[in-house]
Amino acid sequence: MPSLTVRPLDGCRGVRAAGEIGLATRTIWERVLEQAVREGEGVYYLELSEVTFVDVAGADALAAAAERLGDGRRFVVRRPPPALRRVLEMFWPDLPTIEVSMS
Amino acid sequence: MSAAVEHPGTAPDPFVHPALFYRDEREYLDGTVPFVREGLAAGEPVAVAVPGDRLRLIKDALGDDAETVRLLDMREAGRNPGRIIPGVLRAFADAQPAGRRVRIIGEPIWAGRSATEYPACAQHEALINAAFRGRTVTILCPYDTERLPEPVLADAHATHPTVIPAGPGPAHDSAAYAPDAVVARYNEPLPLVPDALTVPFTAESLPQARHLASDEGRRLGLTGVALEDLTLATAELTTNSVVHGGGSGVLRVWGEGGHVLCEVRDRGRLTDPLAGRRPPARERRGGRGLLLVNLIADLVRMHTGDEGTTVRCWFAR
Repeated sequence: MPSLTVRPLDGCRGVRAAGEIGLATRTIWERVLEQAVREGEGVYYLELSEVTFVDVAGADALAAAAERLGDGRRFVVRRPPPALRRVLEMFWPDLPTIEVSMS
Repeated sequence: MSAAVEHPGTAPDPFVHPALFYRDEREYLDGTVPFVREGLAAGEPVAVAVPGDRLRLIKDALGDDAETVRLLDMREAGRNPGRIIPGVLRAFADAQPAGRRVRIIGEPIWAGRSATEYPACAQHEALINAAFRGRTVTILCPYDTERLPEPVLADAHATHPTVIPAGPGPAHDSAAYAPDAVVARYNEPLPLVPDALTVPFTAESLPQARHLASDEGRRLGLTGVALEDLTLATAELTTNSVVHGGGSGVLRVWGEGGHVLCEVRDRGRLTDPLAGRRPPARERRGGRGLLLVNLIADLVRMHTGDEGTTVRCWFAR
């Protein structure tokens, strides 16, 4: 079975995810995002360099969570797989609360 | 020319969808340029989405007025007919302020359209009527009577409530208007292709199916964004089968001429003819999978019936 593992980031608020985000791991991903929305203020990092694939529903969940972030808050999505970048650009090109970072 | 034909006793649909038949360049410009100018004079937003060579004709005839018109090469923007409603027509119409009529010239069918593309073209023209019912929009669709075959011109009479004949003569109601019949007629079975990579899948094997499709796409010559798109389309279609199409399906991938194709068959039945053709509602979650496939593939053909649903996608290699 495909898996998605998530652990806290050292030194900043956020998580490092590894695996893939699809039908089988959607619930885990949505829990991660739920937690991220609840947690504090400012910037929340989603380090995705070890995530190999994100489907449209996974991108949809990320966008929906980002839309619930209050003033002055945002997600920084680090090194997402190409599929996530493509889907975000296509459906949520101007979402101010998601910043995609390739570094 | 583009006036709605009113029927006594019924409120006319504000949506106007005439087919404009033209025999030559002069008739093309006579039918399109005044339509654009009337719109501009009334302060209406206007878009022109026609094949590139025709686009240049209209642009040159409009002169400086072309700057206030949205111009799109339909060969690019509308390569896959399934993406024209969400990606071209509604993308433009929905972005305009309410209260003014929106005018669009849309030419989705040109002489170079292949026999493989045509059923999707005819269904697209028919579905425009359902997609825009009740909207204050006019979509004028030019048809080249000299270069398009007779059955295509006959279909245009069935997919457009109003027709503007070639030559002199007024616009009139189309007696043959029957868009639902066109959608049904071109819901053609997609015969099984021998020698394709064949991968049955269930919820548990969705990732393997995606990996196998991606590997096969690479072996068949896809690279870069096209390979990513094949992978995304496979993921969305197979996931749809698991969630909506009976829990399982069969994925096939193969090469054909300049394209790599992927196809997903399942036991579900697609009941919404506009599935995958509505632009996403920002506030609504879910339901974007088939739309994404329409937006990224070079062609999408579908067949649905009691025996199940097949979705086949083409990606240029």
